[in-house]
Amino acid sequence: MEVLTVTMNPALDREIFLDGFEINKLHRIFDPSKMDMTPGGKGINVSMALANFGVKNVAMGVLAGYMGRVIEEELRKYSELITTNFVHTNGESRENITIMDEVNQTITEINAPGPTLDEETIEQFFQRYEMTLSRVSHVVISGTVPPGVPMDFYKTLSNVASKKGKIVLMEARGQLLTNAILSEGCPKIVKPDLRADRKCLGIELKNIDDYVKVSKIILERGADLVVLSYEIIKNVVATHEGIWLLDTSQQVDISHVLGTGDTYVAGILYYLLRRDKDLFEASKFGYIAAVAKLRYSKKIFPSIKEIEIIRDNIKVERIV
Amino acid sequence: MKVKDLMIRDITAVFAEQRVKDVIKICAKQLFTGLPVVDEEMKVIGFISESDIISGAVPSYYSMLQSASFIPDTNQFKRNLNKIKEKPVSEFMTKPRVVKEMDSAIYAADLLIRNGWRVLSVVDEEEKLVGVVTRMRLLWGIINSPNI
Repeated sequence: MEVLTVTMNPALDREIFLDGFEINKLHRIFDPSKMDMTPGGKGINVSMALANFGVKNVAMGVLAGYMGRVIEEELRKYSELITTNFVHTNGESRENITIMDEVNQTITEINAPGPTLDEETIEQFFQRYEMTLSRVSHVVISGTVPPGVPMDFYKTLSNVASKKGKIVLMEARGQLLTNAILSEGCPKIVKPDLRADRKCLGIELKNIDDYVKVSKIILERGADLVVLSYEIIKNVVATHEGIWLLDTSQQVDISHVLGTGDTYVAGILYYLLRRDKDLFEASKFGYIAAVAKLRYSKKIFPSIKEIEIIRDNIKVERIV
Repeated sequence: MKVKDLMIRDITAVFAEQRVKDVIKICAKQLFTGLPVVDEEMKVIGFISESDIISGAVPSYYSMLQSASFIPDTNQFKRNLNKIKEKPVSEFMTKPRVVKEMDSAIYAADLLIRNGWRVLSVVDEEEKLVGVVTRMRLLWGIINSPNI
């Protein structure tokens, strides 16, 4: 195992492709391929994408109830390269149902809540996390946390891993991320999650100067690579050597964004583990991996071969 | 067929210092019948099964009885279990029950049958935990194998 992924709030993602969907009507589905059931949550998605790239990893987090057992089983079925190590607790893990109607061009989503974690569960997770750190070189801490998890939790996870010499990659938002960045063990790779709001460290990201400003602050705090999504398809990438804007010449369908950020993260790690330690080159590889993911409407992760085919379709502009 | 073809890639485990009630809780929630015991580097140092806990909680004279009908009620068992639930795993665990990923499935089956075990820990070359293999997993794997 080379990578440990943390998903504190996993979900079972169920996608139903139902043309002519209407409320107040019985819909029968006769074709099983129109229904998809996949384990979800940002860290779990990274685990799945890494497995596609041939990288052995261990998925950790907290699962709950029957739904939790289904998520775990589906994850293990997905690839032999994924090892599970989840704490199980009371309640039920989240279930996200998406009804895609390609005729009416509608997406209907029903998201169930996850469990509330008690102190004992969090402590148990932490114990197992520390135990598992000895087995990996890289740690991915990604996504939201369920109720009950303190806002300094990601900071603690990052600090413990950094002290043990592990490279931490964090994709999160709000106070969870801010606390981790402002701590002594700031993650080496930071990818703020800007999907809900274009804000990081309390700074609103309105124009490119704001992106540069935030990137510089995160680098000063101890990160070596910062990745910020910019105008949907573009990305601002910052290292101690400079700041760049990445774009693609590839024709893409931006409605297929589910899992692209996670593919990006997996792409960076794959590059660092299998190719070279150059962080800027790794971020370019991650970016093009995410572009390759955009080919699929479903949560299907690309192969390395698919990424290599479009590898040159990247436009790089130096900003700073 | 190798152990690696049949194993469950899950590394749920406990430390020797953890309490017996932690084992019961984990096993009940995850439908396990026992757990590998590991050190801080995840090297397997033992195994604790439901049988080990039951043996620790039944009255000491129980092993001499032919039938459980001689025990008047479950109160004594309950009292004993309450006594041991806060005790460390190290007091009840047994020696490591391990196989390696590249061991043959028949070797794992032989170990399980000869010893009456339900689960084996699977370890890598450094004796670190990489998964488990259960009796049912072996049976399932064998009936689904195209080579047999």
